[in-house]
Amino acid sequence: MELQEQLEELQAQGLSVAAISYDTEAVLTEFSEKRGITFPLLSDDDSQTITDYGILNTLADEALEIVGPSRSDRESADLDPVLEADIKKYVTVNQGIDYHVGTPYPGTFIVDRNGRVMSRFFEEFYRERNTIANIMLKRGTGLTPIAAVEGSTAHLKFTAYPSNPYVMPGSRISLAVQVEPNETMHLYAPGADTMGYKVISLDLRPVPHVRFEPVLYPESEIYHFEPFDELVPVYQSQFTLLQEIVVEATPEAEEALSQLDALTIGGTFDYQACDDAFCFNPVSLPISFTLDLRGVVRELSESSPLREYFRARARENAN
Amino acid sequence: MRNVCIALAGLICVLPASLNAAEEAQIRAPVDITSLGPQVGELVPDFSLQDQNGQVQTLDSVLGPNGAILLFHRSADW
Repeated sequence: MELQEQLEELQAQGLSVAAISYDTEAVLTEFSEKRGITFPLLSDDDSQTITDYGILNTLADEALEIVGPSRSDRESADLDPVLEADIKKYVTVNQGIDYHVGTPYPGTFIVDRNGRVMSRFFEEFYRERNTIANIMLKRGTGLTPIAAVEGSTAHLKFTAYPSNPYVMPGSRISLAVQVEPNETMHLYAPGADTMGYKVISLDLRPVPHVRFEPVLYPESEIYHFEPFDELVPVYQSQFTLLQEIVVEATPEAEEALSQLDALTIGGTFDYQACDDAFCFNPVSLPISFTLDLRGVVRELSESSPLREYFRARARENAN
Repeated sequence: MRNVCIALAGLICVLPASLNAAEEAQIRAPVDITSLGPQVGELVPDFSLQDQNGQVQTLDSVLGPNGAILLFHRSADW
């Protein structure tokens, strides 16, 4: 489990970790023993804390009131289309509603030592989650890079690495490209394209069931390029680009991805460099990463209060 | 046009039901999760919850020297 794997590094950064859910203590005890979890798993079984935090997912209650518990009831019902769309995004695509009552909109808060929110990450689709490593990269306190590809050209040095070595359907990770322009060199930042320069970018080939988000660029600086008397947005000192990658988790995507062991992400890293006198031709460097692909594990614990529920559903479907 | 009352020739005032219903029909807004819960800069609520070892944890007991990651998820079970 990713959070457990990152625990030592997070603790080295002085950050503790706790997970909160509506599970009973028995379920959490079993889960922590099975997966070797050493950080607190907190049992909010009446959903009071979830409610206090303002993130109780009330869509499930609403739908339940209107149509009843099972998916087939919902399919034949005449729900408000906005409610139906929200249920698909935030509750469930294809399961019954009732056991979702009391769950939160899933998300992560990073708080400081006084309990003040420093950053927060909530997902637009319940099946997708930012990995912890991705969250740490996005807030600028990245964890130790693994499987890094390093290189240098006449203009710069770079180190490229994925935030996580493995992904599952729903994982939202980043490909980080840390760039150090050589002395006297500068590279073009967003905005410089309007002046005819090639902005530093990643151009990745499409991969089925994988979504590439727009690259996250750090703040640039304005440079006065004297030969053309231009003010241009550039990067002159070390910076990191983040290319977020989302592995889709729709039922179709999960089905297709279950056939694969790994995903290969490839394309080019493109930039244009100038020094204080000359502009060099744009450069295009091939990059490629292989990410291990794991399946989503869904198995009820022995202590699960839902065992009987799912058995009953299975009996219903069999009839 | 609110609560238009059509007086019928000196008799009681009749509220046309269909007019009222159309007016009151609101378009439902999709959920905006970014607006839910404590925002950046706000203090999070305290809690007092049992962990997997039967220990009661509060926000204070969970906080590390540089803070904490609080992860709300749907279930460890399903």
